[in-house]
Amino acid sequence: MSDMPDFSNVQSGSSSTAPKIYEVKSGDSLSKIAKREYGDANKWPQIFEANKDILKDPNKIFPGQKLKIPPLA
Amino acid sequence: MKSTLRHFALAAATAVALAACGKKEPPPPPPPPPAPAPAPAPAPVPAAPVGVTLSTVTLGKAVGADKKITAATEAFAKGDTIHASIDTTGAGSATLVARWTFTKDGKTVPVKEDTATITPAGPATTEFHISKPDGWPAGDYAVEILLDGKSVATKSFKVQ
Repeated sequence: MSDMPDFSNVQSGSSSTAPKIYEVKSGDSLSKIAKREYGDANKWPQIFEANKDILKDPNKIFPGQKLKIPPLA
Repeated sequence: MKSTLRHFALAAATAVALAACGKKEPPPPPPPPPAPAPAPAPAPVPAAPVGVTLSTVTLGKAVGADKKITAATEAFAKGDTIHASIDTTGAGSATLVARWTFTKDGKTVPVKEDTATITPAGPATTEFHISKPDGWPAGDYAVEILLDGKSVATKSFKVQ
């Protein structure tokens, strides 16, 4: 029996002044990514706007796509 | 009289010329001109920063909108959110990893690992943070920062 603490519930995140790149995973949506990256699901249009060159429909993103995550304005 | 003088002068000149021919070596060829000094090497052009490089890592309890630590510390309380703010220089694409660990009795265990791929056009600041809803166990922690897979910095901190 280990006496080391349990860190399984640690929450984490990151943000940057530089644009980030996020690789879409199975089950992702823009709002989920916005929640994860910005802490606010309603910020998804910012991600959509930054990726209009590869996204035609905000509801259609695919695993493996690399999305630009702009810094929050 | 004139003719005698002319003959004498001619004979004297001939004698001098013959004597000169017999005695002197031909003068050595003039030394070659010194090789021109090599052109000075062009002043080195300052190398443009290649890729993204790490500048500083700072720990603290909060960050501002610029992602920089607002109050740096390496001692935290049980309920704190712990931030690591990483300044980078250079442009391009880079993958930053923050590897958080806890050490007790000489044994180190992973706490969390996060990755951020950034594409800065110049100096940038990236922050990683961790929190624990039921509070951090007291002890010694560290965060190791990797840039494109290479460990570039480690910061230790305590939770009291």
